[in-house]
Amino acid sequence: MKEKLVVRKGAYHDSAFLMRVTRQLKGISNIFDAVVVMGTPMNLELLAASNFMGEALESVTPMDMVVALRGASADAIAVAEQELEKLLQGGEQQTGDESAGLPIDLTTALTQNPDAQLVSVSVPGTYAAYVASRALDADRHVFLFSDNVSVEDELALKTRALEKGLFVMGPDCGTAIIAGVGLGFANRVRQGRIGVVGASGTGMQELTSLICEQEGEGISQAIGTGGRDLSKAIGARMTDLGLRVLAADPGTDVICVVAKHPADEVADRVHTILEGLGKPVVVRYMGNAVRPSTSNVFYASTIDEAAQAAARLARGEPLTFSKQCSGCGDACFKADKIKEGRVIPKRLIGLYSGGSLAYEAALFLQQKGIAVHEPKVAMKSSGPIEFDGNLVIDTGEDFYTVGKPHPMVDQTVRCELIEKVGADKSVGVLLLDVVLGDGSHADPAPELVAAVNAAKAARGSDDLLVLASITGTELDPQDLSRQKAILKAAGILVAPTASKAARIASELLA
Amino acid sequence: MDLSKGKQLIEGPLKLVGLGIESIVEGAKAAGANVVEVTFQPPAGGDATRMRALAKLFEPPLAEKIDAANQIALERLLESRPTLVGVGVAREVIPGMSDDLILHAGPPITWERMAGPLRGAIIGGLIYEGKATTPEEAEALAASGKIRFDPCHHHHAVGPMAGVVTASMPVWIVEDMAGANAGNRTYCTLNEGLGKVLRFGAYNDEVVTRLKFIERTLGPVLGRTMAGRGPIDLKMIMAQALQMGDEGHNRNRAGTSLLFRELAPAMVRFGGEAEDVAKCLDFISKNDHFILNLTMPMAKCMLMATEGIAHATVLSVMARNGTDFGIQVASMPGRWFTGPAQLIRGLYFPGFTDEHANPDIGDSAITETAGFGAFCMAAAPAIVQFVGGTVNDALKNSRQMGRITVGKNSLFQIPALGFEGSPTGIDVRLVEEKNQLPVINTGIAHKAAGVGQVGAGLVSPPWECFHQALTAIVEQENA
Repeated sequence: MKEKLVVRKGAYHDSAFLMRVTRQLKGISNIFDAVVVMGTPMNLELLAASNFMGEALESVTPMDMVVALRGASADAIAVAEQELEKLLQGGEQQTGDESAGLPIDLTTALTQNPDAQLVSVSVPGTYAAYVASRALDADRHVFLFSDNVSVEDELALKTRALEKGLFVMGPDCGTAIIAGVGLGFANRVRQGRIGVVGASGTGMQELTSLICEQEGEGISQAIGTGGRDLSKAIGARMTDLGLRVLAADPGTDVICVVAKHPADEVADRVHTILEGLGKPVVVRYMGNAVRPSTSNVFYASTIDEAAQAAARLARGEPLTFSKQCSGCGDACFKADKIKEGRVIPKRLIGLYSGGSLAYEAALFLQQKGIAVHEPKVAMKSSGPIEFDGNLVIDTGEDFYTVGKPHPMVDQTVRCELIEKVGADKSVGVLLLDVVLGDGSHADPAPELVAAVNAAKAARGSDDLLVLASITGTELDPQDLSRQKAILKAAGILVAPTASKAARIASELLA
Repeated sequence: MDLSKGKQLIEGPLKLVGLGIESIVEGAKAAGANVVEVTFQPPAGGDATRMRALAKLFEPPLAEKIDAANQIALERLLESRPTLVGVGVAREVIPGMSDDLILHAGPPITWERMAGPLRGAIIGGLIYEGKATTPEEAEALAASGKIRFDPCHHHHAVGPMAGVVTASMPVWIVEDMAGANAGNRTYCTLNEGLGKVLRFGAYNDEVVTRLKFIERTLGPVLGRTMAGRGPIDLKMIMAQALQMGDEGHNRNRAGTSLLFRELAPAMVRFGGEAEDVAKCLDFISKNDHFILNLTMPMAKCMLMATEGIAHATVLSVMARNGTDFGIQVASMPGRWFTGPAQLIRGLYFPGFTDEHANPDIGDSAITETAGFGAFCMAAAPAIVQFVGGTVNDALKNSRQMGRITVGKNSLFQIPALGFEGSPTGIDVRLVEEKNQLPVINTGIAHKAAGVGQVGAGLVSPPWECFHQALTAIVEQENA
């Protein structure tokens, strides 16, 4: 063990500084003890208590610095002395920006950016209502992506927002396109004359994409409201505001409404609002019987039909719909042609990432007299299929996503299920959706192809038909054409819309 | 239905503030929208009931009432003019003081629950008062129930560390000379210096001898001095000290020097015997922290001016007794919200470590409550070691405190922040919302009675204090 006791005459340093130096020297390996202090009587006592004594200390004054080191070797002491020199030199880099590294909180951000109109909230659901409430306090609109917000909180937020003329888009609002800017999961669409108010995320994505991609029209605004807005409890508060804002918007000629299963009395009330908007309106309510259309409110039976109708109205054309599958292009999708003489097992399983798309597919199949089950527990990733009959599964349901990202972002769970289900010889038709756009998986097709190929290899026979729809536009970052080409090259049939995919599937089962 | 804000939104160009998952605003950024990304902190400790309550306190019309009340509190605090008017003996000047009463720092506490340093100081106080001759006797007396204990704060007084005040001790008298609360008086003992001292729980002969010197010599000399020279405006001294590298809690060198300049000529002129005056001058000049026992009652005096303002949610007291941390809210004076005193994140004197440290103790957090101390860390580069070691860390610290306070003290300026006023008026709502506790500069006492100071560092109140205060504020507003 080595010791060193040095007195530096007239080397004054502040005691707080020396305490830090001492701590840093103590942290050097093979240094057992270190004391760096000014030579005050009190400090000399402390040095003695740490067994540092010597002649050097006899003439020490409070203006002298005492360095006492104890270490395993002379080398260790030398290292400590070098470090001491460095610390005494000081002069750490100053950035000059005292708030660098200080996180920006909501109220600070809102104060510093008075021109920010909207707060996008995707914090865990427990905190979401609080944050949204604070945004309303500051008179800002809210895009509330978070889910797990209670109905009571939603009602309170929307009631307050409405009093202030502010939007609360959500909770659980997946999509919006405001002033040409997509929020959440949104497709990149052309600017145009059709405005959308939607209580369904993927429903809005499908509708806006079809309006652009299939019909060649564009979107003025797409205002999300959250899935519960048309429930009895919420009473269409944000749908109401959205509709009125679009009615007053000179950039919007036609208004679309898309929602899942609205409460009848709310749908009645919304109808009255729609009648009074002074602009043609197209409505797609999934899960309800199609309501009778009136002179300026058209109720569509599918999202495709809604897209077509909106486009025709925007162009001032009459509302006639061809029963022919005009948009199918090259695929044509005749069941016989697809089967090529193969006998296909008559069991269908749909594995979806988009909730509304799954919902609409299940409805369509049921309408065609095909019994479909939608299991309310998660399917296991391996082993035999636990459920009987035809299945439509939304892998974005809560029981699949607890602690995991949404399947539109991360396809791991869905791909496992594709492998399991596709390998099962009782299954003849596998139905998939692919949702592109901002927020979604950057390159979904290759992963799906790999899973389908693995399933087919495990199956060992070619009596499985895989049918997919793609929701997206050529402007989307994933490149719609490329995604399509990858799926087709792997022998996957690509239908132009989700409801058409469901229709073809129904024909394949016939 | 008001459509103007909705129309404004869809007109664009869109600028948004994003909290949470980053990918949610990726598309918006790609589309060229201006996106300000915010770091999310769970408010109110993530408790659903408290979050709902907190949201209500920020919602008009209640929020407007609270904001207005907090502004009044800030104004009263700023317009108060705490002035040193004299020195008296505790039993004669402190309201409610008596020979069987010992005042201590922090919220109320029984002898059984007292920490080592506080017990040590009480032992020392009893020996000093001649009520016991040995530590054992003193302990027995303290436990007997014959001696009453009360927080300094219940008697308009404050005390550093253990904060023990006994009846014979000389105390500074500070009086508010301006504003709505002119005439308020606050009290504090005279600072004993460093080393083995009563306030850190030391009680040996050296300690008692020094207390006797303070009682017999220092107190009377300063009493005559003040009577002769007249009052001293304490805020002016504090304002200058902040310009000279003090923060007013752990760094008091400039303030003490300024006070010394104010006192020295008058001490010579009015103090009495030359030898006594010389001893007193020597005593003050050797004690960097001498002014702390004046800035503390100054802060107490400023904060007393805020007490009793209905709806105000700013703190009027933060204090610790070594076992519990207690806070008070301006609208509910006298009501403590307490939680366990925390361990200090600090630097130690040679030979000491965390193991020796007592949890947080002392009324000196009154300085941070009034908006200086750690809140002015950026003013005291010499002690930035305590906040991470760099000057930037100190600046950041002061900025951070700006987020939980309702205003700035234009008199207490921080040169390094462009002479910005010190962040003042800790709002319970902001602490809960920003998930940011106030930071306090403090000394570390040895946990055993009688040892003394072992280091210094930073500490914060426990969350319990703020959670309780929030609940009480909501109950009061609902009543």
